[in-house]
Amino acid sequence: MRWFFLIFTFLVIATIIGLRGRGEKFSKPPFELFPDMDRQYKVKFQKPSHFFENGMGSRRPVEGTVPMGFELPIEKADGPPRTDLDFETGDEYYSTGLFGDLYGQGYPEGLTVDAALLERGKQRYQINCVPCHGESGDGKGIVSKYWGTPPVKGKQSEEDYQKELADFNGIPPSANLLDPRVDAFSEGQIFWTITHGKGLMGPYGGTVNVKDRWAIVAYVKALQAASK
Amino acid sequence: MPPDKAKMGNIFPNWTNWLAIKVLICLGAMGTAIIALAWYSWTPKYTRVGYMPQQPIPFDHSLHAGQLGMDCRYCHSFVENSSHSNLPAAELCWNCHSPGKVKSDSPKLELLRQAMDPNYENYTGEPIRWVQVHETPDYAYFNHSAHVNRGVSCVECHGRVDEMPVVYHAKSLSMSFCLDCHREPEKHLRPLDQITNLAWEAEESDRDAFYAKLASSKGVEVSELQSADEKAGMEWGQELIGKHLREGWAVNPPQDCAACHR
Repeated sequence: MRWFFLIFTFLVIATIIGLRGRGEKFSKPPFELFPDMDRQYKVKFQKPSHFFENGMGSRRPVEGTVPMGFELPIEKADGPPRTDLDFETGDEYYSTGLFGDLYGQGYPEGLTVDAALLERGKQRYQINCVPCHGESGDGKGIVSKYWGTPPVKGKQSEEDYQKELADFNGIPPSANLLDPRVDAFSEGQIFWTITHGKGLMGPYGGTVNVKDRWAIVAYVKALQAASK
Repeated sequence: MPPDKAKMGNIFPNWTNWLAIKVLICLGAMGTAIIALAWYSWTPKYTRVGYMPQQPIPFDHSLHAGQLGMDCRYCHSFVENSSHSNLPAAELCWNCHSPGKVKSDSPKLELLRQAMDPNYENYTGEPIRWVQVHETPDYAYFNHSAHVNRGVSCVECHGRVDEMPVVYHAKSLSMSFCLDCHREPEKHLRPLDQITNLAWEAEESDRDAFYAKLASSKGVEVSELQSADEKAGMEWGQELIGKHLREGWAVNPPQDCAACHR
């Protein structure tokens, strides 16, 4: 009998340990006793929806829609109305960086380059550009730790070359923004490069809005001026 | 005594007299233990804590946000403008993980190649179906931009994501969790340039820079502010920083129902 109580106590403890305690890691979806109002049948951010054909809840806004909770677009003489949060508004210089097929010089009309814009540009630069181009723009961001020069063909036997190429794990260097080559870029060209990417650089037109891109342009120009 | 009855003896031995009571005691103990456990750790407050789903691509936050020091907003780019903190499109991963760049042929990135590389044999163009870890009930409307732009860091609700190889639900995010902060926001506010610095410590932050900025925005002398704080018996730390930021931004978090349930 005394063994029985010992075994029983052990069983109780084992059950408690076996069941999930507070804050323990688990990978199955959490248990919800009454999910009715917690999980409603409505379209939610970045969630699937069976209502639409392609199963995606995220839809493109209807033409002319003004997002809720933001300022109304400002009417502009040189293009469609725009807000500070626009990602593209039209084909005028402000949202393309181009005049026709040519990179534009200087900042678009209606954009005041002041301390606030530079401060904003600095912040956005540090978020989006620093990993590759570095704090000072010298191209030595954290990614420079992983730079490597790919093996050159013809220096060794074909077999060795293929083996080295397979082992090669580095990435090519990122551009030095203080280089005379980049220094010679016009504002429009830097803007265009941020928007569409260049060489190995990916496009940032989808994550950085138009005004912030101009702010980054101003900050890059300031970095270049400061390095001289 | 009739002879046949003596032969039979007792069908149930003596100890069975107590069996029913013992079984009841054992069941009672077991039941109490389970109720106590459920009470402590299965309350709705804690059902999500510890949720660590497997993601389709094993994205490592401790590598990207921790070791590489990338800003949260590099990927969650609209958190300052939107109520929802977005997951990036596959295009953003492609900025660094396209052919010729970082680990582009890693087997872990199979799904990314399928989504992005039209030259890849298994190209589908299907978006990556990330699993949502933190989820409020649909009747609670949390606005990321309102918090992030007023000094509430990511770390307050999501924990040290920059130290998590696999992201898990770290805080309870229950209603009382929200209310604790809405009642005493000064215990959680920090300067806006430190929002995405998850390792920020109030005591170790730059005191002189904070006072200098505060003084210039208020148009008073630094020494004046410092002596006022010393007189009030406030030491350099979270409460002092929070108090000034709360005053400066006029932070007055709503505590009525309609603030979050609309």
